[in-house]
Amino acid sequence: MTIRREKAERLADEELMPLIGEKDPEAFEVFYDRHGGVAYSLAYRIVGERAAAEDVTQEAFISLWRSGARFDSTRGSVRSWMLSIVRNRAIDQLRSKAGKAPKLAFDDDAILEQRPSEELTDDEAMRRETASAVRGALGQLPGDQSKVIELAYFGGFSHSEIARMLGVPLGTVKGRMRLGLEKIRGELAEGLA
Amino acid sequence: MTNEHDSRCSDDVAAYALGALERGEASELEAHLEDCERCRSELRWLAPALQVLPDSVERMEPPQQLRDSVMAEVRAGAKREQATSGSRQRAGWLSRIRIGSLSWRPIAGLAAVALAVVAVAGYEIGSDSGNGGGGSQDSIVTREDSGLVATMVPEGDGGRLELANVRQLPKDRVLEAWVQRGGEVEAVPALFVPDHEGRASTTIADMEGVETVMVTSEPEGGSKAPTSNPLVTMPIPE
Ligand SMILES: [Zn+2]
Repeated sequence: MTIRREKAERLADEELMPLIGEKDPEAFEVFYDRHGGVAYSLAYRIVGERAAAEDVTQEAFISLWRSGARFDSTRGSVRSWMLSIVRNRAIDQLRSKAGKAPKLAFDDDAILEQRPSEELTDDEAMRRETASAVRGALGQLPGDQSKVIELAYFGGFSHSEIARMLGVPLGTVKGRMRLGLEKIRGELAEGLA
Repeated sequence: MTNEHDSRCSDDVAAYALGALERGEASELEAHLEDCERCRSELRWLAPALQVLPDSVERMEPPQQLRDSVMAEVRAGAKREQATSGSRQRAGWLSRIRIGSLSWRPIAGLAAVALAVVAVAGYEIGSDSGNGGGGSQDSIVTREDSGLVATMVPEGDGGRLELANVRQLPKDRVLEAWVQRGGEVEAVPALFVPDHEGRASTTIADMEGVETVMVTSEPEGGSKAPTSNPLVTMPIPE
């Protein structure tokens, strides 16, 4: 391991970004190692196949490498910026496969499933703790609320498509989205208190 | 939706946050957000709930070969960057894009694009900076139907593209500039966004042989090829 790499590992994401903007591969590698896992998992959850998930993840990281200099920290964390790029590209992928219905897993058990953790850094361990709290939060939502959130966020469906799929009025879909998100938000606020 | 806040607003904000509004509805809500503090604060309040959704998916190990291939591309890019920086050669790190099957407005149809070269201001560069042989170059100004004004100010081999009267973009969109030489459209790597006064600018490293400069709105992170109609189409005189 190079000294540069060790140094980069001590930096927060937001501190890595200027280095990435200057095209520093070590800084980028550290960023990839931190977030490649969640990015790939999210992509896989949306596109439902490994090869496509790899493409999406690679594209998203490369676009971040190319445009890192333009990162605007007033818009939120680099991690959520990165993940919204992954999410948007994955949804684009789904939509571009015309005629092919997106694969949707309605299996709440899969979302609740927790894997045994191994060799976690503190940072990572904390993140997984948050993650399990969220899995709890999503899982604890009434099924009709978690379903509309999943269809929109992971399936890329609009509220009217969801209304048609579920056979409920538009207003009901939007209302469930709001109730669900507010509940998750509330749990986060409690967890942080 | 009107400027008045009503009970439907909050539901729309949640759907918007999830990306679930139809395109037209989303832009209506964005207009409403400008006037409605309640909806803005609702959106801010919900944001963390959105940010944790990716953590709710089952965690998978990404394959090692994905890391290898990402890092190979990154290291190759970093090498090219080093090789071209400081030299006058054509910037090799511009990603080359073939027009091919892209839904890009054909360059031959540019005459049909409503635009007017409204001013060509005399702009001297290099005359006393010892650049030698630079002579005078002119700024190029175009005004689009939308009211957007674009100015290209020559700088060395490249230029600075300055935009005014740019409409605010949704949070997840950025501006991306493109240059067209012969049959090729290349992305300009520096993505940009308008400030609160609708001003935005980016730098184009190499303007040699460029026939047209264009700007589109793209998803954050940029695109490899334009995915929307240009906000700016600026023909560059020889
Ligand atoms: Zn409102």
